[in-house]
Amino acid sequence: MTGHDPVRRDSDEGLIRRILSGDEAALGVLYDRYSGRVYSVAKRILQDDGAAEEILQDIFHQLWRNAAAFDSARGALGSWLLVMARNRSIDRLRRRAPGAAEEITPTLHTSGPDLESAAAANELADRVREALRALPEAQREAMELAYFEGLTQSEIAKRTGDPLGTVKTRLRTALASLKAELGD
Amino acid sequence: MNAHPQFVEDFELYALGVLDGDDKAQFETHLAGCAECRAKLASARSSLTRLALAAPASTPPPGARERVLESFRASGPKPREAAPHASARRPFGSPAWAWAAAAACVILLVAAVWLANTNLRLSKRLAELELSHQQLETSNLELKATVARAQTVLDILSGPQTTQVALSPSSAPSVPHGKAFYNREKGVLFYTANLHPLSSDHTYELWLIPTVGNPVDIGIFNTDTQGNGQVIVTSLPQGLTAKAFAVTVEVAGGVPAPKGPIVLVGPVS
Repeated sequence: MTGHDPVRRDSDEGLIRRILSGDEAALGVLYDRYSGRVYSVAKRILQDDGAAEEILQDIFHQLWRNAAAFDSARGALGSWLLVMARNRSIDRLRRRAPGAAEEITPTLHTSGPDLESAAAANELADRVREALRALPEAQREAMELAYFEGLTQSEIAKRTGDPLGTVKTRLRTALASLKAELGD
Repeated sequence: MNAHPQFVEDFELYALGVLDGDDKAQFETHLAGCAECRAKLASARSSLTRLALAAPASTPPPGARERVLESFRASGPKPREAAPHASARRPFGSPAWAWAAAAACVILLVAAVWLANTNLRLSKRLAELELSHQQLETSNLELKATVARAQTVLDILSGPQTTQVALSPSSAPSVPHGKAFYNREKGVLFYTANLHPLSSDHTYELWLIPTVGNPVDIGIFNTDTQGNGQVIVTSLPQGLTAKAFAVTVEVAGGVPAPKGPIVLVGPVS
C-alpha cells in the first residue's frame, strides 16, 4: 500500500476510510476477514466460548472507536487486532486470577505481518506453528505460558518448578530458534 | 545499568512481558533514555505478533457476527437515525392506553438516543484515554531516565565514597580553590578542594553576594581531611541575583553576616 496507489475499496486501508465515513458494511467486511483469527487468539487464552466472543466484540468496538487514530502507514491492521486480542484476553485472564500482577495495555500503533491476504496469513500461521512444534517441549511450554497465559519468567519458574535461570535460558533460546526459523 | 541490551532476544523478552523484578527495571531505565533501543523494541514487538497465529483455529459461535455488528449499530455514529420512528404512528382517534403507550415509546426512544449518544461519547473518551495512557507510559519512562541521571549526578557529587581529583600542572602547588555551579532558578552546586581543615569550633560559610544588598548565607560546611567540601543548595532566596560567591571562616554554626576572613571569592561571569 504505497501512498501513490489508489486505495482499493476492499483493502484494509480502504475499509478503514469507509468506516470513518460511517459505512457499516465496511466493518462487516473486516469482521469476515479477521474475526476468525481474533476469536482464535481469545479462545486459546481464555478457553471459553462466551468470554472469547466478548473479547471479539470488544476488539471490533475498539476498531470502530479507534478507526480515526489507526495509522495504516505504521501498522498492519490484522496485526493490531491480534495484539489487541492477546492483550485484552490476558488482561481478563489475569484479573480473574488471584494476585494478577499488572494490567497489560494495548498499543494502538502495532506493526507486524500483513495479514490482509488470507492465503499469505494461512501460510505464515502454518510456518509459526511448525516452528513452535520444532522447539524442545520445555521451550515450547515456556513460550506458550508466556505468550498465551501472560506469565512472567518468575511465574513460569514457579508454575513449572524449574529454576529461574533455566526458564530465562529456555525463553531466550526459544526466541532465537524462532527468529532463525521465521526470520525478522 | 546504562549498557545497551546485548542480544536481540532481550527486546523480545521484554516485549513478551516475561521480564520482571530487576531485569525489567534495568531494561526500562535504559530504554527510557535510548531512542535506538526503543526502535529495536518496536521491531521486536512486531516479530512477536506472529506468535498469535499459532493459536489453534477456532470459529466464532453461530450468530456472533450478527451480535457483534448489531451491538456496533446500537453504539454507532448515527444513533440519531433511530429518532424519526418516534412519531411514525399517528395517535389521533386511539384509545387512551395507546396514547400512554405512544408517550412511553417516545420516552424510551429519547432515553435510547440519549444512552446511545452517551455511550458514543464515553467510547470516544475511552479511546482518548487509552492513547493518553500510552503517551504517559512513554513520558514516564523518559522521566524515570531523567531522574536516574539526576540521581547519579547527585550521588557522585554528594556520595561519601566520592573522591575529588584535582588536575593541575604537575609542578603547581596545591592551593585552595572552589567551583560553584549557579542557576538563579534552581540553586547552587559548590565544591571546594585544598582548604585547610578547621577545628571543631569553626566552620566554613558560603555566601551569595547579590548585585544589590548584603551577602546572604547559603550554607555552612566542613572539609574532609584532604580539605574537600561541598554545598548543594536547591532553593535560593527569590529575587536575588548573585554577582559573586565567597567563603569565609566563621564560628561553628555560622553567622548571619560575614565577620571572619575571606578564604575564597569568585565573581559570577
